[in-house]
Amino acid sequence: MSTTRAVPAASRPGRPADATAPVRRPPDRAGTWRSRLYRFDVRYVPYLLIAPFFLLFAVFGLFPIVFNGVVALRNWRLDDPTLTGWAGFANFARLLDDGDFWNALGNTFGIFVLSTVPQLLLALIVASLLNRKLRAQTWFRVGVLLPYITPVTASTLIFTVVFARDTGVANWVLSLLGVGETAPIDWRSTKWASWIAIATMVNWKWIGYNALLYLAAMQSIPRDVYEAAAVDGAGPWRQLWRITVPMIRPVVIFTVVLSTIGGLQLFTEPMLFDANPALAQGGDDGQWQTIAQLIYKVGWRDLNLGYAAAMSWALFLIILIVAAVNALITNRLGGGKR
Amino acid sequence: MKRSWKTWARAVAAGSVGLALLAACSGNSGGGSDSGDGQVTLKINFWGDFGLDELKSRYEADNPNVKISLNTGEYNAQHEDLQKKLIAGSGAPDIAAIDEGFVVQFRGQADKFVNLLDKGAGQYESKYLPWKWKQTLTPDGKAQIGLGTDVGGLAMCYRTDLFKAAGLPTDRDQVSALWPTWDQFIAVGQQYKAKSGKKFIDSATNIFNPVLGQQPVGFFDESETLKMDGGPKAAFDVAAKMIGADLSANLTAFSPEWNSGFVKGNFAVLACPAWMQGHIKNTAPTTQGKWDVAAIPGGGGNWGGSFLTIPKQGKNVDEAYKFLEWLVQPEQQIEIFKKVGNLPSQPALYQDPAIKDFTNPFFSNAPVGQIFSKTAENLTPQYLGKKNGPTRVAVENVINRLATGNLKGKPDQAWTEAIKEAEKAAKS
Repeated sequence: MSTTRAVPAASRPGRPADATAPVRRPPDRAGTWRSRLYRFDVRYVPYLLIAPFFLLFAVFGLFPIVFNGVVALRNWRLDDPTLTGWAGFANFARLLDDGDFWNALGNTFGIFVLSTVPQLLLALIVASLLNRKLRAQTWFRVGVLLPYITPVTASTLIFTVVFARDTGVANWVLSLLGVGETAPIDWRSTKWASWIAIATMVNWKWIGYNALLYLAAMQSIPRDVYEAAAVDGAGPWRQLWRITVPMIRPVVIFTVVLSTIGGLQLFTEPMLFDANPALAQGGDDGQWQTIAQLIYKVGWRDLNLGYAAAMSWALFLIILIVAAVNALITNRLGGGKR
Repeated sequence: MKRSWKTWARAVAAGSVGLALLAACSGNSGGGSDSGDGQVTLKINFWGDFGLDELKSRYEADNPNVKISLNTGEYNAQHEDLQKKLIAGSGAPDIAAIDEGFVVQFRGQADKFVNLLDKGAGQYESKYLPWKWKQTLTPDGKAQIGLGTDVGGLAMCYRTDLFKAAGLPTDRDQVSALWPTWDQFIAVGQQYKAKSGKKFIDSATNIFNPVLGQQPVGFFDESETLKMDGGPKAAFDVAAKMIGADLSANLTAFSPEWNSGFVKGNFAVLACPAWMQGHIKNTAPTTQGKWDVAAIPGGGGNWGGSFLTIPKQGKNVDEAYKFLEWLVQPEQQIEIFKKVGNLPSQPALYQDPAIKDFTNPFFSNAPVGQIFSKTAENLTPQYLGKKNGPTRVAVENVINRLATGNLKGKPDQAWTEAIKEAEKAAKS
């Protein structure tokens, strides 16, 4: 701090070189004013400049989280305004034996595993392909990002047509392969079919985004490491796992944490996959109802805001735990010491 | 120690300066929706097609100070949204449509709606079907929260081209004679399927609903007790038989796939309340002239029918009532009927040549005016409980699971599940 302050000051005309000793400054009014302004500039303006972020974070991030915690401990029903006051941990206790919550939790994790694991693996492979010398390299790199910039509602609506039972493209392709020729797969009727359909949408959207993150990291790996490995007889697959992945470990951990958060908060895709999205029920039997959807349903259809807030806090804690565990595992897999 | 305290003090100072800046920027936003020059915007929420598009323009032309904003939405969502806004005390539309399936729930909150009797709506009482008038009237008779728009009635729409191809009669009287009862209807369906190899009905839930509408008691009796063993059981059994005979195309009602089923001819019959006519016409305009209307098995009955209400919280209550009053006048009601098929709930209009002699070219010139007004006049309405809406959704879900989901081929288990889900919905 003090050095950065000293350097520009020293170069200003008419000022003693030793600007860090303000005591010896001549008692010149204009000078004092100037130097105050100057001190304000270097000392406080940086805080001013970063303040908007923290203000916005406090208003739209911190406050809702804390307020949500308060609401979770209260009775707050929109359809019964007389029922109010502190509920203690009753909302959380109710979670423990709420079949809908556990069903939604199971669905969320099922879809999460089906989407995150293939997503990151495929992104890694796509990135290592893009990292080679290709014709029309930029075209390919921009191309993989296209799904990411497609609005999620638009792509989901297209996918619901693709996964239509009688007329969908997915069933047509499968029938060419000899699957479900007589009885086409009803993508909305069973847990597995609906999970796969939704996971496909998620994978499609995020593979390119993660691939570009990996690609950026891969380009900072020195070429000679690969050359040395190739001389030692390591094939491309071995190079990917033994050199590339360990060397881009921080980025891998970053993507794992991000896709954990995203995967556990999955909302738009399951919501719009429903035959009647307004009901937010995730299938006739909640086959693919995720926690985020259940929170929406409990809060805005059943109008029980207290209980919905408790659910969101539970989801928050679950995400924290899972993200931490995932980061730890990834760190180990990538050869990290911690 | 001292240093770190200073750092914090600086951060706080910087933060508060930032806050002041933000506050300075955010002054003087907001303001009312009324722009002071007497211009009024009336927002109307409904679902499907109420046939208001052209009437809106006409009313706006006659009343230059009024703008009407039509907001159509999903059936269940519109009712839930209204409920939310009523409790919140703000945000409700100026005019809200309510279906008869939700009417008891809202009638119980009459204090949140404008009492139309205070506005002079009492003069219309004699014009309405008595039961329709009573549906939105509080039990003590002191408050009327809405004016009826249409009644459903019940008939069976069928595709003449598909019937012909399957060797079935196509004349509407002969078709009506084929199925006096639901069992005979199923038999016709089996015949159709054997000949054409195609499915007969669109969805089992669209059989469940009309059959339930024909029962003397629906989900709830007048003491608000869930009565699954009466009407619902009878309706569920017919639906389950349809599924068992593999006659259903299993298209979830009102889903996009269901809509494309109309165009593709995935089913040959569809239970038709009057309001369904407009939906068919809007969804599959290319099937013009291929439909006809016959009697429904099991005699008359009702499915659906709506009211328009004015939530009290609105700012333009008077203008809203003026528009509402204009809308229920015979001229407008007849126009809506001609446009989308919604049958007015004022029996005097059934004698009006404009309705009595109306034949719908979309439905092979069927005399739909006579067909639907006959079912509406002979109607004994059912009491629909407070939780009728969610209970219906819960049972429909179970029927869908019986058709395609994890209860496939297990009608007995499905009925047990239906009772369980209905009880849960009734309690929620």
